Amino acid sequence: MTRTAIYNARLVDPASGTDCQGGLIFSSDGVIIESGAHLFQAPSNVELAIDAQGHVLAPGVIDLRVKTGEPGNENKETLATASAAAAAGGITSFLVMPDTSPVIDTVALVDFINRRARDTAKSARVYAAGGLTVGLKGERMTEIGLMLEAGARLFSNGEQAVEDIGLLRRAMQYAAGFNAIVMSRPDIHSLTRGSMMNSSAFASRLGLKGAPPLAELMAVERDLILAEMTGVRLLVDQISTARALEAVERARDRGVKVWCTVSANNLYFNEMDVGDYLTYCKVFPPFRSEEDRLAMIDGVARGSIDAVVSAHDPQPPEDKRLPLPEATFGAAGLETLISALISLVQDERLSLIDALRPLTSAPADILGVPQGRLAAGAPADMILVDIGAPWECVREDLRSRSQNSPFDGRRLQGRVVRTFLNGLTVFDRKAEMLAEQGA
Amino acid sequence: MAKDFEYNYPHPHLLGIEGLNRLDVEQLLALADDYVEFSRQDRKHVDVLKGMTLLNLFFENSTRTQSSFELAGKRLGADVVNMAMQNSSLKKGETLIDTAMTLNAMRPDLLVIRHNASGAVKLLSRKVDCAVINAGDGQHEHPTQALLDALTIRRRLGDLSALRIAICGDIAHSRVARSNVFLLTLLGAEVRLVGPSPLIPKGADEWGAEVYTDMKEGIADCDVVMMLRLQLERMEGAFLPSTREYFHFYGLDREKLKLAKPGALVMHPGPMNRGVEIESAVADNLDRSLITTQVENGVAVRMAVLHTLSRNLLDRRAKQNEVQR
Repeated sequence: MTRTAIYNARLVDPASGTDCQGGLIFSSDGVIIESGAHLFQAPSNVELAIDAQGHVLAPGVIDLRVKTGEPGNENKETLATASAAAAAGGITSFLVMPDTSPVIDTVALVDFINRRARDTAKSARVYAAGGLTVGLKGERMTEIGLMLEAGARLFSNGEQAVEDIGLLRRAMQYAAGFNAIVMSRPDIHSLTRGSMMNSSAFASRLGLKGAPPLAELMAVERDLILAEMTGVRLLVDQISTARALEAVERARDRGVKVWCTVSANNLYFNEMDVGDYLTYCKVFPPFRSEEDRLAMIDGVARGSIDAVVSAHDPQPPEDKRLPLPEATFGAAGLETLISALISLVQDERLSLIDALRPLTSAPADILGVPQGRLAAGAPADMILVDIGAPWECVREDLRSRSQNSPFDGRRLQGRVVRTFLNGLTVFDRKAEMLAEQGA
Repeated sequence: MAKDFEYNYPHPHLLGIEGLNRLDVEQLLALADDYVEFSRQDRKHVDVLKGMTLLNLFFENSTRTQSSFELAGKRLGADVVNMAMQNSSLKKGETLIDTAMTLNAMRPDLLVIRHNASGAVKLLSRKVDCAVINAGDGQHEHPTQALLDALTIRRRLGDLSALRIAICGDIAHSRVARSNVFLLTLLGAEVRLVGPSPLIPKGADEWGAEVYTDMKEGIADCDVVMMLRLQLERMEGAFLPSTREYFHFYGLDREKLKLAKPGALVMHPGPMNRGVEIESAVADNLDRSLITTQVENGVAVRMAVLHTLSRNLLDRRAKQNEVQR
């Protein structure tokens, strides 16, 4: 067994509250042996030493919301292409959503995802979310217990909120019996159907139908009340409004077991970014008002919002290069997630440790996995990040098979230099650049 | 024919009223004024657009707007081609952008586009080299309609800044309403928006217009009452309970018209739903109704727009040629 040290780093480990100059040692079997300030200088008792050149050394990112096109729409993204894009974005673990074709709603399909990920997605750990209702149609609950045994990490109805409140209650009750997590999209479809952006004076001016922000609050309250009734562990999937966050905080105060996430899109963009009918900015939940955006950042800083997700939703140009009302929803996000957060750090909206917590230890705790921390015994999933590096996001350079990024043309700060999965380098920007120049 | 102005409308396209300034509008209206008189002559043809190609691309059915643009183009001497896009290659799966590239390769000079999606005309304008005129995009804008409405009011009543104008009906889904609010307020008129709450868009009170849900209050003391067409598909219980109830509260009849200023004028962009938003006796009252005048002025406004944009296009091309040399 060989030991490798990473030294001369800024060690940031949100789980332990560490942010100091330091280093780390991991073993060739992919386990962190020790980390700390005392390893800032290259230790002598290791076989290999990597100079971090002062970059940030942090746990690999854990992303709780990723869509690929596998199975069914491999032209959009496969587990393999998603894992390559993830590695370039410093994401070492991600949870795939069940809205594929067919829907991940049976044991066999959970097993399919797990096997395909093991065989093809070599640069990230992939976890499957099982469908909460059969075909995500909101009519019958799925075999939650069996899928849990097969390795489904939680249960989600994908993009569609379950409209039948009675059914949702029973599914939550049933899931609670297995201590399973239910992930729900806070949406009241009959209030947001046909919407293309946030409902506002600006949307009216553009002649685009808007989704009322209060629909999200109404849905969050519904789900929180059901969680209270059933005792289920609830993960509210992508809140985007200040009022919804307040509702989550109130429920948490009265003992409801609830976590919530926010998409990096809702931290970085506001509704005005839709501007000239930019279809790459057509996402759901939509970019909200500036007040809501700032409230989301504040929620992340306070730790009220548990995890930040990429909400990666690859869509090919033929579905995006259309008039906005006809274009499909969704934005690619794997390669911009951490840079969006670090850009907020550089704008002094967040501290680095507060920005990294919802990307690492907090989502790890939700999933109940050992990674997401730089502790002895944890898997050696780590990233080196140059947090000062400025770069311009150019759609065509993204590794994702679909390049529908709202960050296209944006100047971001902070870039992943190297990604380690289980101690192995799965992404090395310098090596890639050299290879490109050589070719 | 055209007067010399010190300021020239600087835009390559006409995509909406939003983004135009007062001078842009004054210039277009002044030229349109000339073309109204011009079109009343027996021989109404001038070679302003001679040799240029005008493509009418209508992705949504329209008889009057399309023929208005066609006549405008022909009176100015352009070669006009109407393309009925409702049953074209878009149905075969070609995207709008591909269609734009294809048509652009045929080297048109002026493209008139109507599309059912808000923002679609702007999208197309980025992909072509010619001058683009928005003939209505979804629920966004219909700038030539607003220009012809302003022209019609001005020719009849003079300076708009002294006027109070009510726009009534389905504001939420109306591109005519949006363009008119922007234009009429730009020209200094006091604009009111009148309609049932579900048909008033969010934030309309921030457009510089006052919002009324009671039509009797809304049209009180108005100089002009502009009615909008109610799309019948909105009538089936989703937005409104029934046409009968709509007519009762929001249809313009003789009784309600009495609340406006004495002699107040009535407008409608057409096509009208008689008995739904407007009573026949009001629509057909030649002393009060400007509806046919609007149609006449529509051709003149479109001539002015085509004329102005073609001049800019030719200037732009001349500059490009200079650079290449």
